[in-house]
Amino acid sequence: MTALRLLWLHLRIGVMNELQYRANFVLQLGESAIGLLTALLGLGIVFAKTDDLGGWSPDELLVVVGIYFLVGGLAQMVVQPSLQRFMEDVRQGTLDFTLTKPVDAQTLVSIRQVEVWKLVDIAIGIGVLVVALVRLGHAIGPAEAAAFLVALLAGAAIVYAFLMILATCVFWFIRLDNILVIFQSMYEAGRWPITIYPSWLRLGLTFLVPIGFAVTVPAQGLVGRLTLELLAGAVALAVAMPLAARWFWHLGLRRYGGASA
Amino acid sequence: MIESTAPALSVRDLRKTYSVPERESGMRASIRSLWRRRTSEVVAVAGITFDVAPGEVVGFLGPNGAGKTTTLKMLAGLLHPTAGEARVLGFEPWQREHDYLRQMTLVMGQRNQLVWDIPVADSYELNRAIYAIPIDDYRGALAELDELLELGPLLPKPVRNLSLGERMKCELAGALLHRPRMLFLDEPTLGLDVTAQRRIRAFVAAYAERHQATVLLTSHYMADVEALAERVIVIHRGGLLFDGALGTLVERFSPFKTVTVDLDYPVEGLERFGEIVSIEELRITLRAPKSEAAALTARLLAELPVIDLSVSDPPIDEVIDRVFSAPADEAEPARLVGTSA
Repeated sequence: MTALRLLWLHLRIGVMNELQYRANFVLQLGESAIGLLTALLGLGIVFAKTDDLGGWSPDELLVVVGIYFLVGGLAQMVVQPSLQRFMEDVRQGTLDFTLTKPVDAQTLVSIRQVEVWKLVDIAIGIGVLVVALVRLGHAIGPAEAAAFLVALLAGAAIVYAFLMILATCVFWFIRLDNILVIFQSMYEAGRWPITIYPSWLRLGLTFLVPIGFAVTVPAQGLVGRLTLELLAGAVALAVAMPLAARWFWHLGLRRYGGASA
Repeated sequence: MIESTAPALSVRDLRKTYSVPERESGMRASIRSLWRRRTSEVVAVAGITFDVAPGEVVGFLGPNGAGKTTTLKMLAGLLHPTAGEARVLGFEPWQREHDYLRQMTLVMGQRNQLVWDIPVADSYELNRAIYAIPIDDYRGALAELDELLELGPLLPKPVRNLSLGERMKCELAGALLHRPRMLFLDEPTLGLDVTAQRRIRAFVAAYAERHQATVLLTSHYMADVEALAERVIVIHRGGLLFDGALGTLVERFSPFKTVTVDLDYPVEGLERFGEIVSIEELRITLRAPKSEAAALTARLLAELPVIDLSVSDPPIDEVIDRVFSAPADEAEPARLVGTSA
């Protein structure tokens, strides 16, 4: 509850302050437009040659693109900038101030920095998703809708936990400037359903860097191609990974405070 | 010693040892350190013990690296001690219980906690949410802080547009919105000009008095400590060197008096009177052992054309400097610890 209120406040303050810098908005608009164009062009090139990519039709792949923008936008709007700032705080010693606040420190470092203009990506994601669903034409039944929502939430939790674990490493290796970029570049691969990749890469993108759960699985849910086993697996991972991240965070904090030495 | 009230802060034999990586110079050693790290133990705080009563303002003195900040960080709950105990407001600080954190604050002069790019008022709004301060209490606290520090015109400005002095005022106010009862202030006046320093000092004194807050303050500026604290705790090389009244510190550590005379006309050969600290035209400042100060004064009056003469304790800065620059065996903590009044 406190977490949501704090997030809302950060969002509000972020919006109020960012409205002064219209140039940032224009830049983000440009960046998102290029991202969308690249994605659509990619789809266009592939489907100029074939109507089916690893079992996915063009409109179904549009669903993947939509979710790619939506999840990526969410991560880049709040989690990634917040964790980047957290890592900076550890380097500069300003994490001390966070730790003296009567709020859960992990929550606080996860929501403290909001990149408002990433809302553009989220809006694009939702827009593409709507277009794709309209073109697909097949009615989304309650089962698909539910599977999609559950898989999306699970994916978000998994991505958050993954980023959190990466960022927490900063307690051991003070200089980790680019660790979150690892995720960013891997995430690019999520623009395509991971089922089209060779199995070794697919495994990597599922369990090593959980892009598959973040994008492909919710898309499968929406187009009615998600097995119950896979959904259960996603939910199980969505419970286990945040728990692991939490444990790792506490381990890091113990090291920070010198309690483990 | 039994007091009617429990101490706000009680520290028993608190120790902190850091293990720091060591690297010999040179490429070969650097490469070797990739897989074999050599570490050495550094004792930051070597077992200190003291109590602070509720509402007391205590100055925490020591040269750089004496262990002041490490002690403060342990008491603020940021560091685990290697050994020893501490209780602040009845809590063990490093458990970081929210009930404890809500009642204390930490201000570090060399580090910012207000958000750089957003207006001060927005940072305060965030603190209000974090501490869950009811809106009426918040307005009351802000009005009071505004009255003491004149924050009004600063609130709508982004922190990056504030001067250092303005920023420190805003930092302090932001750290006190939740009206903490325990204040840890680490160099709160660092880098400020004299006027701003005085301002901050007056403010801390007023806040402590008004809210019966307990304050532990470290500073390089003796003026801070002189203005705020009746009691000082001096630590040196991680150990407690002195704990007691500021005046006692001067008496104990300064075996000298400063004698200043104004002469009617220049006189040669002043060296025969003892150690000369300075000669500014006709004003001569001498230093003499305490026991000889009276005799020296008599001689000066008898032998020189004295217009004015004064005897005083040396400035506290000088006293402290003598204490800290003394060789290790002379400043042996165990030998010099005083009992507090």
